[in-house]
Amino acid sequence: MTTQPIVQLQNLSKTIGGKQLIQQLNIDLYPGQITGFLGPNGAGKTTTIRMMTGLMNPTEGKVIIDGLSLQDNYEEAISKVGVIVENPEMYKFMTGYKNLLHFARMHKNVTKERIQEVVRQVGLENRIHEKVSTYSLGMRQRLGLAQALLHRPKFLILDEPTNGLDPAGIREFRMYLRKIAAEDGVSVFVSSHLLSEIELMCDRVAVIQNGKLIDIRDINVETSSFYYIEATPNDQAAALLQKLDYNFVADNNGYVVEIKKEDIPKLITQFVHEEIQLFAVQPHQKTLEDQFLEMTGGGQIVEANSK
Amino acid sequence: MLKLIQNEWMKLWHKKGTWAMVALVILFIIGPGIMMKYYETKEGNTWQESEQQSIENYKEILNDDNLSAEDKSYYEEQIAISEYRLANDVPSQDLAGFMSFTGNMLTLVTLFTVIVAASIVSSEFSTGTIKMLLTRPVSRAKILTSKLLTTFIFGLLLYVVNVGVSALVGLILFGGTTGAELEIINGQVVEKAVWNDLAYHYLLTGGDFVMSMLFAFLVGSVFRSSSLAIGLTMFLSFTGGMIVMFLSKYKIVKYVWLTHSDLTQYERSSSILDGITMPFSLTILAIYAVLFLVISYISFMKRDVTA
Repeated sequence: MTTQPIVQLQNLSKTIGGKQLIQQLNIDLYPGQITGFLGPNGAGKTTTIRMMTGLMNPTEGKVIIDGLSLQDNYEEAISKVGVIVENPEMYKFMTGYKNLLHFARMHKNVTKERIQEVVRQVGLENRIHEKVSTYSLGMRQRLGLAQALLHRPKFLILDEPTNGLDPAGIREFRMYLRKIAAEDGVSVFVSSHLLSEIELMCDRVAVIQNGKLIDIRDINVETSSFYYIEATPNDQAAALLQKLDYNFVADNNGYVVEIKKEDIPKLITQFVHEEIQLFAVQPHQKTLEDQFLEMTGGGQIVEANSK
Repeated sequence: MLKLIQNEWMKLWHKKGTWAMVALVILFIIGPGIMMKYYETKEGNTWQESEQQSIENYKEILNDDNLSAEDKSYYEEQIAISEYRLANDVPSQDLAGFMSFTGNMLTLVTLFTVIVAASIVSSEFSTGTIKMLLTRPVSRAKILTSKLLTTFIFGLLLYVVNVGVSALVGLILFGGTTGAELEIINGQVVEKAVWNDLAYHYLLTGGDFVMSMLFAFLVGSVFRSSSLAIGLTMFLSFTGGMIVMFLSKYKIVKYVWLTHSDLTQYERSSSILDGITMPFSLTILAIYAVLFLVISYISFMKRDVTA
């Protein structure tokens, strides 16, 4: 990655009441990239996000946004950031439009046309002039996204953004994030506890535990390919795989085998040749859950691969 | 800054309670006005007859031997005034009389301003909208200032409504009679400068108005609880006199703002404490006002937002 990072967390630490909630966090976020932020409950995700949005002051370290320190140049630095912290809390007694107008007035150069444009993008045209108190949770999420996008931020921070959206809404939301990341080069930082959600949405994940960054890595890049093979008798199949020197591990009624795609026909021929009954050969996607367990040090695949 | 005040103003008037406050201020003027008019027409007396009647009433009271010297001189003065009215054909000023009566309703204006001051910051915390408000390219100091100014403008508006509606209702119900308010100075019946006195009274209630507002604003923004702020402010304004009495043994009482916040004490001949003057009171109040503001600003600007 040769491009300049848009956001840098430098030695970010936070201590409250003698308890170190965040310790020496260093993360770089790049334009056009969607980064997932994972961690068990109480790991410090929300605290980190609050420091990145200026709601909390770090005890130590810096948040740098587009070259500007958030602590020293607050107004200019934050103007590049769009934020949804937890559930987007709106003024329920006003209409959706008035809410957007309210936030638009707090930014420079957000015109009425821009408000209309964003409303169209999030698909709220029909209900925008109704009071927010009549909205469903999903509609509030859409409105929350709209207010975060008003000023065309270079960097978008989202905390549990798909909470309350229906499946179609989640899908639409995901596509939309991918689009603004790809077309406008917006850097997106998403925290979520839904691993599958992060998996579908993100290019990269950062994992934190007990206030420390455990790992940060790209996902969807398979270093090796895996296939699921089901055959009887079982032990004979295992013996064959052993003989052919493949890494494999038992899974359900069969085995997950590390094997290249072009070697599959050869393996099938071998099975047929040995008269082992073959029921299934299918690609096995390593889920983020597996990777997550790997990172936190509890994965069985790690052991299998290192055999 | 203008846009921020516009925002606060918009949010304020989208709450039903705000309209109820204005309605109540108006109602508490029209209601007593109609009642007074009703009793006046029911008795059906001319003003000469009612003056005659009050002279007789006062004389009856004077026959009581237990009357203190102070009360006695008061009733004697009243009789002198009534006799002067009859002799010189000077009816009492009904419009000014009504307006000095509704001047008491300024307590309501102060109460409502206190409610707004107490909740304008704390409600953002309790609904969670503070996160949306503070992640904008606007410094916290500006946001707090816009809220303070909005509260002040709202209070002034209620003041204007009180004066305006009083004058209007007074004119409609009692007409602009050409009479005059009288008082006795050095045994001489003279015409009171009634409009000057009234304007002075309105100005003096401003002391309690400003101090209560700032105190409620302080408690509301430091403790983020509107009920605490309203309760504490009201408690102090009800028991303020008593607290000053209790403390009156000590010298320190001179430097407590409660001693001075009711500036109308200088209208009457006796102030709550001996040896204090208007300029001294104003100085003390100004110091406390600055103190309240400084604490409000520091706590609002330094706080970690965890709402």
